[in-house]
Amino acid sequence: MTDDAPLTPQEEDEALAAELALGLLEGDEAAATVARLSDDPAFAQSVLDWQERLSAMAEGLTPVMAPARARQGIRERLGHGQAPLAEELDASIPWWRRRFAAVLGLASAAAVALFLWIPQQTDRPAASADYAAELVTEDASLRVAARVDGRDMEIALESGAAAEGRDYEIWWIKADGSAPISIGLVPREGTLRMTLPDGLDPSEDIQIALSDEPEGGSPTGQATGPVVAISPLTRS
Amino acid sequence: MQDARRLQLEEMIARVALGDRSAFDALYDATSPKLHAVCLAVLKDRPEAEETLQDVYIKIWQNASRYASNGLSPMTWLITIARNRSIDKLRARKSRPTSDTADIAATVASSEPGPESAAIRAQERRLLDECLALLADQQAGAVRAVYLEGATYADLAEREGKPINTVRSWLRRSLLRLKDCVSQ
Repeated sequence: MTDDAPLTPQEEDEALAAELALGLLEGDEAAATVARLSDDPAFAQSVLDWQERLSAMAEGLTPVMAPARARQGIRERLGHGQAPLAEELDASIPWWRRRFAAVLGLASAAAVALFLWIPQQTDRPAASADYAAELVTEDASLRVAARVDGRDMEIALESGAAAEGRDYEIWWIKADGSAPISIGLVPREGTLRMTLPDGLDPSEDIQIALSDEPEGGSPTGQATGPVVAISPLTRS
Repeated sequence: MQDARRLQLEEMIARVALGDRSAFDALYDATSPKLHAVCLAVLKDRPEAEETLQDVYIKIWQNASRYASNGLSPMTWLITIARNRSIDKLRARKSRPTSDTADIAATVASSEPGPESAAIRAQERRLLDECLALLADQQAGAVRAVYLEGATYADLAEREGKPINTVRSWLRRSLLRLKDCVSQ
């Protein structure tokens, strides 16, 4: 094949299949090519082969963890489970007469106990975690605790807050020098829980870092703001 | 992709097709960071990518029963859904007419999936990067821009300062060269 020779009919078909797989065709040409898929199995197979071939480019992209609310949004839209707090009890019934008052009472007592208990534990990870990292900014204005137990990870905001219009993004950094992987945003309050995706295996070679990013996180998938805290995962 | 992982994903998709929510959760855990990266590459906007990712998994839930007949590897099927949905969003943003033609292609039944062609594809996958590296930088860059960022011929023409037909002709040749290289 040279640059000026016209394409053979076979090459024309192959190029058309690639263009369809890439979404490059428009208007009548797109419609005619789509119509061809149903009565030309060999052509349809070429389109699938192109999708297979080209997807290797996407496999090379650095994975970026989506915030937990994305999964919650999917569940709500599919009607899987309830939104948090969606099952709030009818407020007109006094709390002591509610059917689950005993359980609720117990749960809130436990929550209060936990709340009282946690501040004394801030410099030590939960006993059940395999790995932990304590992320503290230089001026100690922000403290974030990371814990990994099996493939479950928790990120807890212990003190401090992102500035208005900013978020702290959490990065997973491997020892092999590959690009840091975003694993989400530091929650504005409380704890973020997630399951580590494939390819992120906790070990003492891993470092966790926080960077200062625009609200919602880095728009590029790589850290754009300064790294404000970094710490290795240590066995706990 | 390793065969074990491929089988695992196929099993998850098959269970999702039967309405298994825990399989859907597992599939989300295993694949959402990659699909989110695809949405981000195309849209370059965090909130929009996150919203698109939700659309993508809703589509996966709804279309899982059609996966088995299309002959694509599971990751390619998932990536194709994420890419097409992101490109639709991108083109809607630019108020261009959206074309979901590639989507239709993803649902067409395959004539020959088979374990052998799967092995050949795995090999082609490793080769693609090497073959892209053999293209001129400009050509490889154009192929990547089209696939990963959803660039159109009009976008490429503007970028290169050349007529659309010229750009189309050399991109088609680049694609054919790429295929020749990975098929050798």
